[in-house]
Amino acid sequence: MKHIDQKVPTTLCAISTTSSAVNKTGSWRFSRPVFIDSIPPCSYECPAGEDVAGFMYLAANGRFEEAWRLIIKDNPFPAITGRVCFHGCEAKCNRAEHDEAVSINSVERYIGDYGLNHGLTVNNNSAKRGEKVAIVGAGPAGLTASYYLRLWGYHVTIFDSSALPGGLMRYGIPSYRLPKEILDGEISRLRQMGLNFKMGTTVGKDISWNKIDRQFDAVFVAIGAHREATLKVKGIEKKGILNALRFLREVNLGRQPVLGKRVAVIGGGNSAIDCARVSRRFDANVTIIYRRREAKMPANAEEIKMAREEGVQFLFQAVPLEVCGNETVAGLRLQKVALKNANSSDRGQPVPTGETFYIDCDTLILAIGEDVNKEDLPRHITYKRNRVETGHMGRIGDSKFFAGGDIIDTPRTVTHAIASGKRGAVGIDRFLAGLPLGKSSLDPYRLGDSENISFSLTTSTVPFPKRNRTREVVNYSNLNPFYFDRRPRMKTGIIPAEERARSFQDVVISPIEEEVTTEARRCFNCGSCTGCGNCYLFCPDLCVKNDPDGNGYTVDMDYCKGCGICVQECPRGAIKMEFVRE
Amino acid sequence: MKKVLTGNQAVAYGAMLSDVKVVAAYPITPQTTIIETLADMQAEGIGDFDYIRVESEHSALSVCIGASMGGVRAFTATSGQGLFLMHEMLHYATGARVPVVLANVNRAPALPWNIWSDQTDSISQRDTGCIQLYCEGNQEVLDTTIMAFKIAETVRLPAMVILDAFWLSHTSEPVDIPEKEAVQKFLPSFDPGDMWLDPENPRTFGSVSMSDVYMEFRWLIQRDMERAKGVISETHTEFGNLFGRNYHQVEGYLTDDAEVVIVCSGTVASTGRVAVEVLRSEGKKAGMLKVKTLRPFPSDEVKNALRDKEKVAVIDRNFSPGAQGVWAQEIRSALYELADSERPLLYGYIAGLGGRDINIGTIRDIYERTSQSETPEDADIWVGVKYV
Repeated sequence: MKHIDQKVPTTLCAISTTSSAVNKTGSWRFSRPVFIDSIPPCSYECPAGEDVAGFMYLAANGRFEEAWRLIIKDNPFPAITGRVCFHGCEAKCNRAEHDEAVSINSVERYIGDYGLNHGLTVNNNSAKRGEKVAIVGAGPAGLTASYYLRLWGYHVTIFDSSALPGGLMRYGIPSYRLPKEILDGEISRLRQMGLNFKMGTTVGKDISWNKIDRQFDAVFVAIGAHREATLKVKGIEKKGILNALRFLREVNLGRQPVLGKRVAVIGGGNSAIDCARVSRRFDANVTIIYRRREAKMPANAEEIKMAREEGVQFLFQAVPLEVCGNETVAGLRLQKVALKNANSSDRGQPVPTGETFYIDCDTLILAIGEDVNKEDLPRHITYKRNRVETGHMGRIGDSKFFAGGDIIDTPRTVTHAIASGKRGAVGIDRFLAGLPLGKSSLDPYRLGDSENISFSLTTSTVPFPKRNRTREVVNYSNLNPFYFDRRPRMKTGIIPAEERARSFQDVVISPIEEEVTTEARRCFNCGSCTGCGNCYLFCPDLCVKNDPDGNGYTVDMDYCKGCGICVQECPRGAIKMEFVRE
Repeated sequence: MKKVLTGNQAVAYGAMLSDVKVVAAYPITPQTTIIETLADMQAEGIGDFDYIRVESEHSALSVCIGASMGGVRAFTATSGQGLFLMHEMLHYATGARVPVVLANVNRAPALPWNIWSDQTDSISQRDTGCIQLYCEGNQEVLDTTIMAFKIAETVRLPAMVILDAFWLSHTSEPVDIPEKEAVQKFLPSFDPGDMWLDPENPRTFGSVSMSDVYMEFRWLIQRDMERAKGVISETHTEFGNLFGRNYHQVEGYLTDDAEVVIVCSGTVASTGRVAVEVLRSEGKKAGMLKVKTLRPFPSDEVKNALRDKEKVAVIDRNFSPGAQGVWAQEIRSALYELADSERPLLYGYIAGLGGRDINIGTIRDIYERTSQSETPEDADIWVGVKYV
């Protein structure tokens, strides 16, 4: 008090005379944040390349029509795949490391059903194209190819020897897994797009391949694999031996199969499970006989579980030696086998142990796979390991023929068939436009090094702004789990096993909207900017700004010091730091 | 309107009637019911303010500083460890010259853990530049909360309203709650003047100041702290005129002819009044001096009140390890300015730490001991302590 300087500050605290904006702190920076879009593991894994993170976000907000429209960019049948896809996406879901994987399948099913219940349709609003394309085979691959080609304006004619379209989706998959009205609903939407269906027409018989070749500018062949494999055991010619696909076809046509009281099914794949579960529905006592262990079965684990719940019995590490009985099947003599070299990567080789035993049965169903029937296909086709040999985009040699579905070298699932149909459609489109069909032609639609094509993630900015797409798949360590609470996965409603085994109604109870939105909110939306605002809120320099074009956020590089807080606080790994010399 | 209120409820009413716009706080015993009451008031629409939940006391005061710099009245409350966590931001509030008001319920510092009354928490904030107002009863708590805003906003420094844990915070008394209109007349809306963060006129507040100006800014704090002494007195007077309740920075009771003046603060002052009456009834010339403000320290008033007295006994419910009770140190410093002939002998007593009761008997002992002593000892006397 007693030593007062004459020059007292005029303000009580140091206040600048102008805005601190004059201090462009961006010059302090040696690294900068970049908004990126990385690949969610679910989409990477999805053969159809669906934007799971995107449709989850839309579903979480009750925007089901938009969610549906997003899915059908990549998959014309969400109500079907929502039921029958084996959802490898869920096995890769980052949420599994947090608590439990998101029930992607249930949400997709709801969205697909939403589309059907609300009569949502697709407009082929593209420019009309003059070229004509023939699709041979109206299964999931052929229908998918025709969907895209029609969408892009081509004249599409579909040939199929069956009375109704759908292929194995209609004649293979039992209706308790895929109700016929769902299948019909999804296909009728394709009909409305102006597809020309020639049902009951077998190409190569009713119309020659040459004629098809002459009349059409391009051909997509996806007739499926129907050549039944058989067992080389004594007594295999006896009555009471059924082939899996023919058996399922009979049942799917609504006919009463000729089935005894004790059914043995040989095989470990999904059709073996289908045959067994169908047989249970005809009140038969059913045993599945498989030469390896349960863990080595190619069938889907959930299907195995449901089959067991419905009363199907299993006999592992056994192979048939002889079909017993006089003229008709009365039993099986089997041999126990040991597994050689079985480990996590190898399913192992069954080797005979010499120990034999006998079981009673009056019906034997062989579900041991099908091959491509080469007689049903044009002669110029070449094969590799009994599958049609194709080029990068499903093209057969240098011809106008493309192939997809079970005749080519791809896993035999509906979703893989859809993927091959989509790939074939892109191939035909490029072929007709005179564009190259090389190895890198599909790269713009690929997710990183994946073979799968995604239109939604590569061509759409809905619902997330997609900038600086990377080739990296997001893993859990790229996320900030602090921002996600822990909540259990939704419980899928399943009809009680006793009830299931008595009817062909859908075994899964459709989820309700609230369950679906709640489950969809569990999705991390890995690698995408959902506009959560964390970067905006946390930026100490207030330089993260809303993009004026509504495209997420931008960073004002005049002021960004490169502190990296936005990267740290981004829940989804949608920002990364980039070292720069500026 | 009279209501039976705990000290903590009185604080909440004081803040609400002061028309605070932002309350940010973190709960801690024994402060919790202050912010619970405020949260209820906010939820029920009795108070028109935002209640901002924070994760620590450091953030609580930070939010209040931000709100105040945004140009609105802000309030927080805490106790003991919570106040220690606010320490950094108390200095900041002073430097930023924001008139935030906070209530501190005196709680003994850990370790060992103790939730009971002890002034060491607030005393430890002595040098932060925050005005400190110690209260004796629940009415004073409510009235002081309202006055604290006026004082703080006039001199643009933070202010702390201090009340004893449990003796006030959780003890009910009839309290006269003033009408909101009357309070608004006494305390109009906060006018930040030119010192606020105006988005239309962005400026930087408190940026780096080198040694050529730093000292000047600190001197301005001191200038205004000195000015606060007058402002507090004027505010007391104005409040007294409007509401009929008079408060003083220093208030004597039966001191005129006292041979021993016992200096008290907080609730000890109310015990002190009764103790002095008891001693007087026994023919002993005891007097009591209540000191309400620690910062700014009313040295002139203290000097005048104690000039020519024979002996002064200072009761400290706090202590500064390695030195003495802080009130005793402050009063001794003030008395130093008196001439030798006018200066009383000063006896320091440490009592009631961690909520140990200071009752009439305690004060009688202090009186007797002081009365019988010829010269003060070198160190404070720890009253009733079980030495090991």
